[in-house]
Amino acid sequence: MSPADPELDADAIESLFNRGVTDGLPVVPPTRPLVERAIAASGRDAGELIALVPPNYGRATVEKIAVNAVMAGCRPEYLPVVLAAVEAMCDEAFDLHGVSATTNAPAPLVIVNGPIRAELEINSGAGVFGPGWRANATIGRAVRLVCVNLGGARPGDVSMSTLAHPGRYAYCIGEHEEASPWESLAVEHGFGPEQSTVALLAADAPLGVYAQRSRTPEDLMPTLAASMAVISHHRMTHWGDTLLVLSPEHAKILGDAGWKKGDVRRWLHERLQWPVRELLPGRDGGEGLPEHVLAKYRDPGRETTLIPKFRSPEHIKVVVAGGTAGRFSAIVPGWTFSKGSNLVFRRIHR
Amino acid sequence: MTEYLDPTDSVAVPRKTASRPMSLDGKVITLLDISKAQGNHLLDRLEELLRERATPKAIIRKKKPTFARPAPDALRKEIVGATDVLVEGLAD
Amino acid sequence: MHDGVFFEDNGIPVATVISSEFVRAARAQADALGAADYRTVVVAHPIQPLTREEVRALADRAFDDIVRRITA
Repeated sequence: MSPADPELDADAIESLFNRGVTDGLPVVPPTRPLVERAIAASGRDAGELIALVPPNYGRATVEKIAVNAVMAGCRPEYLPVVLAAVEAMCDEAFDLHGVSATTNAPAPLVIVNGPIRAELEINSGAGVFGPGWRANATIGRAVRLVCVNLGGARPGDVSMSTLAHPGRYAYCIGEHEEASPWESLAVEHGFGPEQSTVALLAADAPLGVYAQRSRTPEDLMPTLAASMAVISHHRMTHWGDTLLVLSPEHAKILGDAGWKKGDVRRWLHERLQWPVRELLPGRDGGEGLPEHVLAKYRDPGRETTLIPKFRSPEHIKVVVAGGTAGRFSAIVPGWTFSKGSNLVFRRIHR
Repeated sequence: MTEYLDPTDSVAVPRKTASRPMSLDGKVITLLDISKAQGNHLLDRLEELLRERATPKAIIRKKKPTFARPAPDALRKEIVGATDVLVEGLAD
Repeated sequence: MHDGVFFEDNGIPVATVISSEFVRAARAQADALGAADYRTVVVAHPIQPLTREEVRALADRAFDDIVRRITA
């Protein structure tokens, strides 16, 4: 290998930006040795096809994903996580086609479970959604670069998001399994605690929920419900997979009182329902039930049938993440508009 | 010369557009609703206008399950086998 | 766009009706698929806040363009 040449690297960074293959931040120029090191660390063949990336359906081979991961700044040993994440987001159930093209704002959120969090130092604790951890920052960024370079999701061209959100730079968290009173998200979905997984959610930005004085579930739960009620619009219903990120202190309140994850889900689902007559469009704020739903009722203005915010309790996904100090949680709305995107898991193969 | 690998993959293959009939008279016209709100109203009116101003053999109405994905293969095949021309909408 | 390009590729003339804000996205997607000659029919943006009657009026205004797009 030739010695590093800073000027050559600077030229490469400029030319990669000019080609439109970055997220606007400088990338690591993907030299063959760097890419080959990442491929070797994955133990996979360079030419193995992992997925076709919507909406352009570019071929995401191990090598193409490795090029993007190197550009994102990933260490070679992160590649298995990126491969699993790309495979998950290209699953039909995720609907990356819609996620990448919509005027809404979703970004693929990577949620990591299992022992690989410790091995790769994937942050699940303090500042979990924030900067400072190379694994979180670069794995999330690699996923974005794959969306752009293999999927064609260039902002303003195919990607038509009105606002987008900062998670489109990088959006990757670990679940703080060690601080949770419950089984992890992956275990709930049928994986073993010794297995490492990614779960991909087409996710809006996290909406913080303050509940510092809550001491019991009866204090905390109505606060969480009130914040979840306004997801997307206070009269939008029939929502699908959405993430409730409980801080360790909030999770402890619930766990100490004997609540299970299923209890949290059911309570929120039952609480978040409104009669049809309160969901009419065009009164007190634009949105409301769509025409085909209203058509089912003879007199919607008097109709008392309850319509739930979430299609079922199972669509409310619960993880514990963040620092062990601070009574703050977050709602991360999914992109489930028109039965859009679902949470998708993949095992991380090493 | 340092070699940098390409992060992209072009899937573009040159595609032709179909040849057009001289008029819509005697043709089967499919109106494909992509399932975005309001599109049905546009297509409803379009169907009326087509019946008033042309003499198509038939007008077929079809609907995609969601605008957020390409139409399912079965629906695509059904349309290809049954129509002469197609109007789809409404993307906004 | 994928559907429209697919149908054209299979010999079916297509008129894809889009709102004016999506001209660039439609062009980019068609080009990415290799369909450089693909053309759309454009109506005024926005669509979502319109009444049923206003959407029907769009169809009246776009009718000639739509017919031109699918005939020789």
